[in-house]
Amino acid sequence: MNAKIKETLLNPIFKGNPITVLVLGICSSLAVTVTLKGALVMSLSVIVVTGISSLILSLLRNSIPSRVRIIVQLVVVAMMVILVDQVLKSFEATYAIDKQLSVYIGLIITNCIVMGRIEAFALGNKPWPSFLDGVANGAGYGLILLVVAFFRELLGSGTLFGFDILNRFGYVTNNLVILPPFALILLGCIVWIQRSVQKDLQEK
Amino acid sequence: MEYLSLFVRSIFVDNMIFAYFLGMCSFLAVSKNVKTAAGLGVAVIFVLLVTLPINYLLNEYVLKPGALSWLGEGFATVDLSFLSFIIFIAVIAAIVQIVEMVVEKFSPTLYSSLGIFLPLIAVNCAILGGSLFMQQKDFPNVGMSLVYALGSGLGWFLAIVSLAAIREKMAYSKVPAALKGLGITFITVGLMGMAFMTFMGISI
Amino acid sequence: MNTNGNFYTFIYTTVIVVAVAAVLAFVSQSLKSRQEANEKADTISQMMTAAGFGTKAEFQKMGNAAVIARYGENIGSAFIINIQGEKVGDLDPGEVFSPARLKKQNYLLKGDKAEARIPVFEFKNGITVVPVYGAGLWGPVWGYIAFEPAQEGGFAIKGAYFDHESETAGLGARIKDDPAFQDKFKGERPDFESDKVFEIVKGGSPKEDGTEVIDNKIDAITGATMTSKGLEEAIDIWLAAYAKYFIGSEITPLGEDDSVTVTEE
Repeated sequence: MNAKIKETLLNPIFKGNPITVLVLGICSSLAVTVTLKGALVMSLSVIVVTGISSLILSLLRNSIPSRVRIIVQLVVVAMMVILVDQVLKSFEATYAIDKQLSVYIGLIITNCIVMGRIEAFALGNKPWPSFLDGVANGAGYGLILLVVAFFRELLGSGTLFGFDILNRFGYVTNNLVILPPFALILLGCIVWIQRSVQKDLQEK
Repeated sequence: MEYLSLFVRSIFVDNMIFAYFLGMCSFLAVSKNVKTAAGLGVAVIFVLLVTLPINYLLNEYVLKPGALSWLGEGFATVDLSFLSFIIFIAVIAAIVQIVEMVVEKFSPTLYSSLGIFLPLIAVNCAILGGSLFMQQKDFPNVGMSLVYALGSGLGWFLAIVSLAAIREKMAYSKVPAALKGLGITFITVGLMGMAFMTFMGISI
Repeated sequence: MNTNGNFYTFIYTTVIVVAVAAVLAFVSQSLKSRQEANEKADTISQMMTAAGFGTKAEFQKMGNAAVIARYGENIGSAFIINIQGEKVGDLDPGEVFSPARLKKQNYLLKGDKAEARIPVFEFKNGITVVPVYGAGLWGPVWGYIAFEPAQEGGFAIKGAYFDHESETAGLGARIKDDPAFQDKFKGERPDFESDKVFEIVKGGSPKEDGTEVIDNKIDAITGATMTSKGLEEAIDIWLAAYAKYFIGSEITPLGEDDSVTVTEE
C-alpha cells in the first residue's frame, strides 16, 4: 500500500474526521445513536453509499454536463440509498433494524458527507482513490456514531448491543441520556477532547 | 382543532432541530449572526411550504400503493413507493431551482437577501425530512400537509434565530480554547433542546 | 467532445434517469416478495407472541417460513366483523392485517364507525386475538391482545404484544421492548360494558398486601406518559369496537357484581 492511499484512508478517520472537523453530516443521523445496533447498521449503510456513489460518479466525471452536475449526483446517491433500503428490508435479520431506522435511511441522501465528498474528491480523482475516500469518510463518520451510541446505550439503557452490562450491578438507567439533546452534548465533549489533543484545530 | 394541534406540535414538540436533528449542517454553519440566520430560516419556511404540498399530492396520486387507480382498474395494484426518495429529492431540487429563477426575475431585493441560501437548501435535510415525515404521518388531506410545512418551518426558523442570538452573545464569554466554536455550539444546542423538551407534554 | 451543449445535456440526463429507474424497478420487483414475507411474518409473530405460542425473539430465530407454517397449524378461523359484532366476511388462509390496513380501519372507528371492518383471529386452542391501533407520542402505536376463552366474570387477557413506529428508545419504546410491561396485561379483564374499557394509569390498580387486583387497569410506563396515554386510547377505542362481539358470544353470564376482583394465586 503506497503512502498516498494510506493517507486517503486514514486521514478522514481521525485528523480530518468529517463530523468533528469538517462539520459535515451531523444532520439526521445522531437520532439513530440510541442503540449500538442501530448506529452500526447506519454506519455500514453510509459507508456503502459514500463508497459506491463516489466510485460511480468518479467513473462518470468526464462525461457529466456541468449544468446538471448536482442533479446527476443526487440521482446516483438517491439510487444507492434506495438500494440499501430495499436490501435491508429484504433480509430477515435486518428487517427489524430497517423498521427502527425508518426515515433516517432515506435521509442519507441529504447527508452532507456523501455530496460533500463527491464534489470535493470524486469529481477530480480516479475511481479507485475516490472509492477509498468515500469508504474512509463513511468510516470516520461511523466511528463517531459508534462512540456516541456506546455511551448512550451504556448509560441510558445499561446495555451494550442489547446485552446487560451495567444492569447487572443494579444500575438505575438515566433517561436523560436517551433523549435527543444528550447526543449533542456528548458530541460537544468529543470535539473538546479531540481539539485538546490536536491543538491546530482550535478556533480563535 | 386538529390543525391547531398539528401546528403547535410541529413547532415545539416535533421540532426539526431539537427532536430530529434535521438540517444540522446549515444550522451550525449559518448561525453566526442573527440576520443571516433569519434569512436562511425564511428560505427554509418558504421552500417547505412549496415542496410539501407538491410531494403530498405526488405521494397520494402516484407513489402510494394503489395510488394510480385513477388511471384505471389495471393500475390499482401498482406500488411505486420505492421511488419516493428519488422523486421527492428531484422535486425539491427542481423547485429550489425554479424559485431561485423566479425570485431573481421579479424581486431582485428579495433575491439578494435570500438568493445565496437557496442552493444550500436543496441538500438541507430539513426539507427532505419534512417530505419523508409527511409520507410517514400519512395526512388525510393537503391542508394538513401545508400546516405541517408551516409549523416545522417556523420551528426551524425559531431554532436557528435563537441559536444565532446566543452565539452572538457568546463571543464575549470565556470559553476553554479547545471548546471554542464547534464544541460549545453543540453543547448549547443540546441545552436548548432540553428546554424544548418541556413542551413535550403539550396537548391541545 | 462538447459536454455542455443542450442536446448532449438532455440526452445525458434522460439516459441516466432511465438507467436508474430501470435498476430500481428491477431490484424492487425482485425483492418485493421477500419484503412482503418479512412484513407478514413480523405481524404473525406479534400475534402469536400475544397468544402465548412463544416469544418474539424465538420467532425471529425460527425464520419466516417456519413462523408462517406454525401459524397455519394453529389458526382456527380468521374473519372480519362490523361494529355490531356480526361476521361480514372471511379472511383468506394466512391473511393478516398489516399496520397500514389497521390504520385505515382506525380512521373509520374514530369517524364513520358503521363502515369499519375489523378482524378477529381465533386459534384452535380457543384463544382469540384482536388488534389495536392508535397514535403514540411520535408516531403510530399498534399491537395485538389475546383473550382466553370466555369464563365466569368475563374475558381474561392471555397476553399482549405492542409495536410502534418511532417512540423514544428506552422510554416509549418499552411498550415493544419490555416484556415486563406486556406481562402486566396477563390475567386482566377489560370491562366491555363500561365507557372506559381499559385503563393504563399511574400506579395501576391499588395493590393491597402484595396481591395484584384483577380488573381493567394496569400501571403506566414511568417517563413515557404520552406513549402510555396513546396506547390506552388505542386499546380503548379498539376494544370498545369489539365489545358487541365479545359480549354477544359470551357463554357464561357475568357474575352478579360487575367489578369482580379476583386475586392471583
